[in-house]
Amino acid sequence: MLPPATASGAAPKASRAAAPRPLTGGYPRASSGQPGPMSSGWQVGVDIGGTFTDVVAFQPSSGEVVEAKVRSHPDDPVAGLLAALDAVGIAWEQIEDLMHGSTLVTNAIVEDRLARVALVATEGFADTLAIGRQNRRHLYRLDLEPKTPPQVPEQLRFEVSERLDVDGRVLKALEPESVERAVRDVAQAQVQAVAVALLHAYADGSHEAQIGARLRDAVPFVALSHRISPEAREYERTSTTALSAGVMPLAAGYLDRLEASRPRSSRLHLLHSAGAMASPEALREQPLGLAFSGPAAGVSAAGWVARELGIDNAISFDMGGTTTDVCLVVEGRAEIRSDRSLAGRPLRMPMVAVESIGAGGGSIARLDSGALRVGPESAGAVPGPACYGLGGEAPTVTDANMVLGYLDADRPVADLHLDADAAKRALAPMAAELGTDVAQLALGIVRVANAAMARALRRVTVERGIDGRACTLVAFGGAGPMHAVELARSFDIERVVVPRFSSAFSALGCVGAEMSYTQQRTVRMLNTDWQVDRLNALHGELCERLGGQLPEDDRHGAIVGEVAAIRYSGQSYAVEVSAPALEDPTQLGRQFRARHEQLYGFATDEPWELVSLRISLTAPRRARPDMARARDDGNAALAGRSTACWFDASGPRQTPLHARAALADGDRLEGPAIIEDAWSTVVLPPGAVLRVDACGHLHIDVGEAP
Amino acid sequence: MSSGVDPFTLEVIRHALSATAEEMSLVVMRAARSPLLREAGDLSSAITDARGELVAQGRDIPMHMGVMSFTVKEFLKRVPADRLEPGDVWFLNLPEIGGNHLPDVKAVRPVFADGVLRAFAVSLAHWADIGGAVPGSYVPSATDAWQEGLRLPPVRLFSRAGAERETLDMVLANVRGSAEREGDILAQMAATRAAEQRLEALCARHGAAEVALAMSRLHDHAEAQMRAALGTLPPGVYQGEDWLDDDAAGGEPVPIRVRIDLEEDRARFDFSESGDAVRGPLNTTPFIAAASVFYAVKALVGADIQANGGCYRPLQVITRPGSVLDPGPERPVVGGNHETSQRVADAIFRALEPAVPERLSAGGPTTSGLLLFAGQRDDGAWTTLYETHGGGEGARCDRDGAPVVRVHMSNVMNTPAEVIEAEYPVRVESQRLRRGSGGAGLHRGGDGLHREYRVLAERISLTSMFERAVVPPYGLQGGAPGAPFQVTVIPAEGDAYRLPGKANVALGRGDRVVVESCGGGGYGAPTEPGPER
Repeated sequence: MLPPATASGAAPKASRAAAPRPLTGGYPRASSGQPGPMSSGWQVGVDIGGTFTDVVAFQPSSGEVVEAKVRSHPDDPVAGLLAALDAVGIAWEQIEDLMHGSTLVTNAIVEDRLARVALVATEGFADTLAIGRQNRRHLYRLDLEPKTPPQVPEQLRFEVSERLDVDGRVLKALEPESVERAVRDVAQAQVQAVAVALLHAYADGSHEAQIGARLRDAVPFVALSHRISPEAREYERTSTTALSAGVMPLAAGYLDRLEASRPRSSRLHLLHSAGAMASPEALREQPLGLAFSGPAAGVSAAGWVARELGIDNAISFDMGGTTTDVCLVVEGRAEIRSDRSLAGRPLRMPMVAVESIGAGGGSIARLDSGALRVGPESAGAVPGPACYGLGGEAPTVTDANMVLGYLDADRPVADLHLDADAAKRALAPMAAELGTDVAQLALGIVRVANAAMARALRRVTVERGIDGRACTLVAFGGAGPMHAVELARSFDIERVVVPRFSSAFSALGCVGAEMSYTQQRTVRMLNTDWQVDRLNALHGELCERLGGQLPEDDRHGAIVGEVAAIRYSGQSYAVEVSAPALEDPTQLGRQFRARHEQLYGFATDEPWELVSLRISLTAPRRARPDMARARDDGNAALAGRSTACWFDASGPRQTPLHARAALADGDRLEGPAIIEDAWSTVVLPPGAVLRVDACGHLHIDVGEAP
Repeated sequence: MSSGVDPFTLEVIRHALSATAEEMSLVVMRAARSPLLREAGDLSSAITDARGELVAQGRDIPMHMGVMSFTVKEFLKRVPADRLEPGDVWFLNLPEIGGNHLPDVKAVRPVFADGVLRAFAVSLAHWADIGGAVPGSYVPSATDAWQEGLRLPPVRLFSRAGAERETLDMVLANVRGSAEREGDILAQMAATRAAEQRLEALCARHGAAEVALAMSRLHDHAEAQMRAALGTLPPGVYQGEDWLDDDAAGGEPVPIRVRIDLEEDRARFDFSESGDAVRGPLNTTPFIAAASVFYAVKALVGADIQANGGCYRPLQVITRPGSVLDPGPERPVVGGNHETSQRVADAIFRALEPAVPERLSAGGPTTSGLLLFAGQRDDGAWTTLYETHGGGEGARCDRDGAPVVRVHMSNVMNTPAEVIEAEYPVRVESQRLRRGSGGAGLHRGGDGLHREYRVLAERISLTSMFERAVVPPYGLQGGAPGAPFQVTVIPAEGDAYRLPGKANVALGRGDRVVVESCGGGGYGAPTEPGPER
């Protein structure tokens, strides 16, 4: 069985220096934690994406695993969820835990479908949202708005009279009259939600709490900045809080409907942006935790597989229709960052450090002064690539794959039937313009798409000081396994793993995720002025808050993990130290310098400062699918079939087709070969060698093109 | 298919070159010692071909990229190619050798394949100190070039055998913070080394001749795109001017004048009629003037054209020796980099108002709005807050200007109040929009910023370097100008006074500094008397 993971990235380490006074807030720290209680009902993961909904269901007592893919219902996600359950033939009543990833909040932010929100700020600072960080988005596009317009317009921004300093000391008491005035103004403004963001509230939230208590009588949804994002930097914290308020009504409505449909015997969890599960109750207060739910699920599963296979440095490679997400996974854990933004608005919350690029199967190829460009324009889900037959006419990457023979026209993807002739028609005009044929053009389109993705791989590895060539590419998503080998070759990566359930991998990530909550707090403590008592109090407070979000029966046995952000005094660039020796600044200093040396190649004995502390509380996973025991429902119908595929300019090669389900432990295939599962295709070009392991993961030595 | 590089390989090589330049920037940010590089990212990276023509860039900072398109070409005039060896890394910062100001130091590494010089990797980094009269090497009162710091003609700091220790020590002996500077030098060296490895691998994969051919094709493509883009402007002769507030030494406004000869597929920008070189550090180099021209043209017609040597071919830039844009090696230049460069862009946009007003924005905060608070915290530590202040964007034909933003040649962020109060002996009393500061018009200019600071130390040295206090941001097509930049000092005791744009004053505890940054110009005559805002 697998060791329990902390997909949140806050990895507790087993070997810790003996601590004089451990700060655990009452929770143990351990890495090889005890498995949770065994459950009997189905464990089901559902990933609701823009185009498809994937589901993976697991029955712990029998070990049975089933998967399905259905079209999403963007207008009615609850109906989509029920359709997904229907597709695997499991009634909700049979499900013990339903784990679910969702793009609901992401899409609301991207499409600017936010609730009307008012803001209450410290006197003199209500315009902070309009000022922002004063930089513009586009260097040369004078015609475009240089900044995202403030989410809260001027007439909905109100001030209260009060002021704290950096340590949370009161410089000016909260003036009750100004609070009453603000509450009155907010009530009259007819808003659905209100955000309260006072200066330095991360250091002391009591003024915000007092205002919040008064506002709750007037407005249904209240977001307080010290609860949502207790970190310094007023613009980012205010923006995060306002955004949170803006999605609260939507998230609450969705969760209400889910809860209403849910049988009492079944538990419901959602996958949050840091790659772990959260309860609906927790997400009502922190709906922004869902903002990167989709990408986090796949990365979470990649981390799990990497740990299982003992891969130190992996890059998760999730190529979908419109975007490709790549993420560095070191020792089975994705990096977590808190400095992301979405739709031009900063979103200061812990999230997996996924790099998204606008290249996917739907990316459109075009000619630009004699060079072939692919993307960033995409045919999207509708009309989609020409070969989907939904009205698309522009040549896309998927059409190129179709022309090259990699996709099987006889095999529908969900309810989509692929049309090879439509793909050829889409490529033909450009091929004619170039004086070549459609197959040569298709090879070129795939090469160029891979070159764009190789750039993203370079960024995620170089940024962390890791040699990408020594990484293993973990490829999944609709198009990932089709491109992985050629992409790996162009980047000098030697090994690709196409994991079991690769085409429903995000759903697998949901079913395998742990329940974990994470929060980060600004601390600012100098090593020369170490206050263990203050840290102890902070730690206890955070653990209590996080523990309160765990269901009661999971609270027992929960494991605490810390990540400390530390910097040299006077710099603002902090280094993250996992399992920090908070009780012993001398030891913590050693940890910090070692990490600094590792990341930047130098470390000095200068004074340093603990900038912030991130704490996560993780309940052990009850059970995970044991892939070696998972049932195979496929057949060997493809045995003996072959198809003509192009791999290079020399011409098509007759290429054997294999059903993935028919592959068994120890099987070895030499390229060229095409391996098909129900929804996706693995392309094994000439020169590559594939090996199947007991769990059904495909290990590919990419070799060289002959 | 046409002969030479096929369109797929060309695109694959383009991505590889861009990825290489991007990687260089990441290496510097990761390995550098100084916060300015690691956090603020005040650096750029570029790949050029063997003749020094820019082919790829890492991060797009308009000023840096414009300048770096000259650096290697000018470098090769001083150091002939036959003196270059594999493993060399040369450093330079002289403004007159493809440069801008002394703190921006360039590391240049020649890259060879099959024993032939094929390319250069260039890493530009803003050093936190380059010596000179004051820490930080920012001397508003400088009256000659030597007061501004260490002047580096091309010197070889690394060779195949490793560091040239004596030369390196000579450099380090002349800058403050030698340990930090040495870390930055090593970071720049490491970035060019990474690029060398990538370029060698690229040549091994595709063949050095193919890569060279691809570089040449990329130039040709960008040139063709730029010529086509210029064709969207009406040909003709256009003249425009804008003014610096003063000569940085208490004098009169200084004109920046341009005459643009626009033909169907080329353009000439002649700045000969601009004012003479000035006493203070508002002078700048012809390379900066060219960088501003490239910026303005890209913003007008070619935002999506890949910036490389080819797209600059149709553009000719003329400056007059002895003028503020071509002052010779003896004049101070540190502020011209971010103030005068902006006025060059302003002059070009104003010249084109009769031709293409719909493509222009009215005058904006084309100044860094810089204030430096230097002082000692209560814990004894010395700190300098180096803060730029954005203002209101100029309005356009179809929309109002945005409030508080950086425009054109610069895009530096502000420092949050919560960070300022944690790091510096200064409190931010308020930050709000400076309502009513945007110029009136059919579309209004954006509002500037009102930010008030209170000094929390016994003694603080405040240095200013801002423009648009005397000559406000202009309106277009009958729009009104924006309100000028103004900074007011309100002492705890005594009378308030207006702080000049280039000044240094001592402040004490409780003194307040009120920044009111300029509003943007309006666009079009107001249709009716607008309400007071």
